[in-house]
Formats: sequence, C-alpha cells, structure tokens
Amino acid sequence: MNAQQIVEAVLFASDAPLRADEIARADESLDEDMVEVALEELKAFYLESERAFGLVELAEGYQILTRPVFAGYLDRFDTVPRPSRLSGPALEALAIIAYRQPIGRLEVEYIRGVGSSGVIRTLQDRGMVEVVGRGEGLGRPLLYGTTGRFLEHFGFQSLEDLPRPEDLPVVLRDRSTAILPEDDEEDPGDPNQLELAAEGS
Amino acid sequence: MKRSLATPPGATRAEPEGFLVELDRFQGPLHLLLHLIRQQDIDIFDIPIHLITRQFLEAVEGIHAEDLDSAGEFLEMAATLVRIKAQMVLPRPLEEEDEDPRAELVRRLLEYEQIQEITSRLERSEAERARMRGKGYVEDRPRPSAQEVPLETTWEEVMEAAMGVSLPELMDREHRVTPRTVSMEEKAVLILNHLQGEDGVEFRHLLAPFADKMHGVMTFLAGLELSRRRRIHLRQAQPFHELWLYAREGEGIEEEARWEADLDPPSDIPTDSPDPDEDTLPDPDEDILEEQR
Repeated sequence: MNAQQIVEAVLFASDAPLRADEIARADESLDEDMVEVALEELKAFYLESERAFGLVELAEGYQILTRPVFAGYLDRFDTVPRPSRLSGPALEALAIIAYRQPIGRLEVEYIRGVGSSGVIRTLQDRGMVEVVGRGEGLGRPLLYGTTGRFLEHFGFQSLEDLPRPEDLPVVLRDRSTAILPEDDEEDPGDPNQLELAAEGS
Repeated sequence: MKRSLATPPGATRAEPEGFLVELDRFQGPLHLLLHLIRQQDIDIFDIPIHLITRQFLEAVEGIHAEDLDSAGEFLEMAATLVRIKAQMVLPRPLEEEDEDPRAELVRRLLEYEQIQEITSRLERSEAERARMRGKGYVEDRPRPSAQEVPLETTWEEVMEAAMGVSLPELMDREHRVTPRTVSMEEKAVLILNHLQGEDGVEFRHLLAPFADKMHGVMTFLAGLELSRRRRIHLRQAQPFHELWLYAREGEGIEEEARWEADLDPPSDIPTDSPDPDEDTLPDPDEDILEEQR
C-alpha cells in the first residue's frame, strides 16, 4: 500500500472535500507533505489517463468529482445526487454576507431594502452561513459569516475566489460593523429576543 | 395611496412611458427603483427625483393592503422618495458640507446594483459547480415489491404482449406544451356574471353544463382567486358540503374591465392567504371562510 493508494481510497469514499492534513490522519506512515505529493500525482494521473473524474480543489480541500462534460449523462439517474440550487433572494442575501462578513441581519436588510430574517434562516439551514459573533450595537446582534459548505457549493477554494470588488463596476462601502468573537454556543432562544430588541429601536 | 387598498397585488399597469412594471418580479424597492432608472437610461448621479417618485408611486399603487408585509418596504421607500423630493424643493443653506438629499439613496442604489452583479456571478459559479458530481447521500426511494402478487401467465401471453409493444424511442428529453383548454379568466367571468343577478350561487350550479373535470378545477381556482381579491365570499356550512359563492358588498365596478389582465399569472396565490380549505374548517356554524384581515 503506497501513500497514493491510501489517499485515493480516502478521497474516493468521501462525500465532502478533505484537506491534506485530514487525509494524513489515515495512517501513521503519512504526513501532510507526502499527502500533498500524492494528491498532485493523482491529479496528473487522472488527467493524463482521461478519467471521467478529476481531483478538484474545493473549500480548502480536495474532492474527487466527475468532469463537467458528463453532467448530462448523470442527470438521467435518480441514484446520482443532484446539487440543489438556491433561490434568487437567498443568493442575494448570501452575496451580501459573503462580501461583508461578519454582518448582522439589519445591515443585510438595509442593503437589500427588504426583510431578510427568513432568507437568512434558510441559508443557515442549508449550512451556507453561520453565526460567527456578536455585534456591539443594541442587543448585541448576531453576526453572520459564510461556511466551508458555502465554498463547496459554489466551487470556490477559498473566499479569495469570490469575484474581486475591484473587478466589479462599483466599489462596496467599507464595512462598519464591529465584531466581538463569541466562544460559547449560541442559545437558540436568544436570536428572537435580539431581533425584537433591535426592531424596537 | 388610497387606491392602493383597492387594487390587487402583482397588478400590471401601464406607465406614462409605456412600459410595464410587475411588482412581483422585484426583490424589493431598491430593485424596482434601479429598474426604473436603468430602463430609462437615467444618470444615477443626477436622478430626476420628481419623475422617479411619480413612477415609483404608480408602480406601488398596485400593492394590496393584505400584502402589508412586503408592501411596507415599498411604502417606506415611497416615503423616502417624497421626503427627498421635498428637500430638493426647499432652499438649502449653501454650505459645502451639506450633502445632496439624494446622496444616500444613490449610494444605496449603487451598492445594490453591485450586489446584483455579485449575485448573478454567484449564480453562474453555482451552475458550473453543479455540473461536477461527487458522491453523496441520495434518499432511498420506495421500490415496488415484486413478491406480493404471484405471476400467473403463459408464454403465449408473454409473446403476445411482447409483440404488441412498440420499442420506445431512445431517451429523448422532450418538453411538451399543451394548451390549457379551460381558462381561469373564463371561469372568473362566469362567476362574476352569475353574481350580477343573484346574491349567491352554488359551486355545483356553475359546473352543471360541463362534463370535463378541468372545468371544476378551474372554476374552483377562479373562486379562490376572486376570494383572495376580495371580490366574493366563499362559504360552506361544513366540510364536504356544498360550496356557495357570494358577491361581496361595495365592490368597485371599475375593476371589472381589468379582469383579463389581472388574472395572469394564475399561480400567484400565496400559501398564507386566507383562502378557504374546506378540509380544515374548524367550526361548521361559523362564517369561517371570510377573510380575517
């Protein structure tokens, strides 16, 4: 059993991207550097041998995925998981959170011009955003940020892959929200109270 | 704003410049405002606030009072526009640090436009990513059990059946467009016509001349839609009893003419609307089918 085979077995069976250091945990004989080497070899090998799948760098990790040209064939099978899409409003809120994180709900709503608590909850349920801290404002509002699942869903390796603001027609405003990191878990009852407090202001 | 209480949501109406605004299409007031500006090639840094305010108010007039959840956001923007318009008219002290009253709005619009651009790029990334597939959990679908019915047949029967089968075409994905034979508009007009002579009409009575089930479905949908638009009441003494349709009092006759345009699309009946659902009526004696709001 060589390193390349072990890495291949782990990635073949995994349904989510894995980082090199995570893959290295498969065996004591492996370390991160060896895994990196094996990953490069595998990637080149899949490409040269024209496999229908490839090693894709995703969400700061690696995953074996079929190549895009085969999507049409796979669509005919119920047994192949089909990625679900986000709705327009959800994408809009997600775009704001991705660029302005950490950001509170009220700020998202100000930018969109519409109430967004439902859509943020959907994004949380889908694992695209999570609470990353508390703002300093009234009621210390929850602040949201994107997750690894978000990167995975959009095929980004990291947040650096987001379209750069300077490439866009208009420059975003500076973010103004202060953040206090929070170490304890959030209390599920809490957000509602905070929302009420914020709305009452 | 008075008229906004009488007209249904999602109504299309012509603007002076001759283009249509359907509010349902817009994510919110900023989206609508940006649309108005871009559609007319207006310089965003020098918005003719009187024109835009007028157009915005006209578009917003279509909002229904029941829709206050989303209407509030549009109305808030309308108020902002009117306030800016007033500030533009009032003489301003000529101090340099005094900002153009439109400045904050322009900033918001530009920011929103950028978010829209990012959103569409995200959408493209999402679609691209969706073409690469990995393993994942696929929910188990129930498969019919083959063991339950013993198969009793002869080879002759199998042969005969096999000969009768024409080979299926190779898996072609085909989208069929079939015309709707019965239109909801037609049914809405039928209901309203019936209610012009009488106070109420039985649902069954409306179906009597027609055999096809589709007539029943479309009549029912038209009834729900009319009820949502507060044109009629639906009443039913208790579950599974005869459904009655009643004209609402004080309805505006001017609305009559807009039926054709207003009823399309028919699928926008919101799930949280107080439409009746005869299976879940709590109290047989009460007039529960009346809208509450």
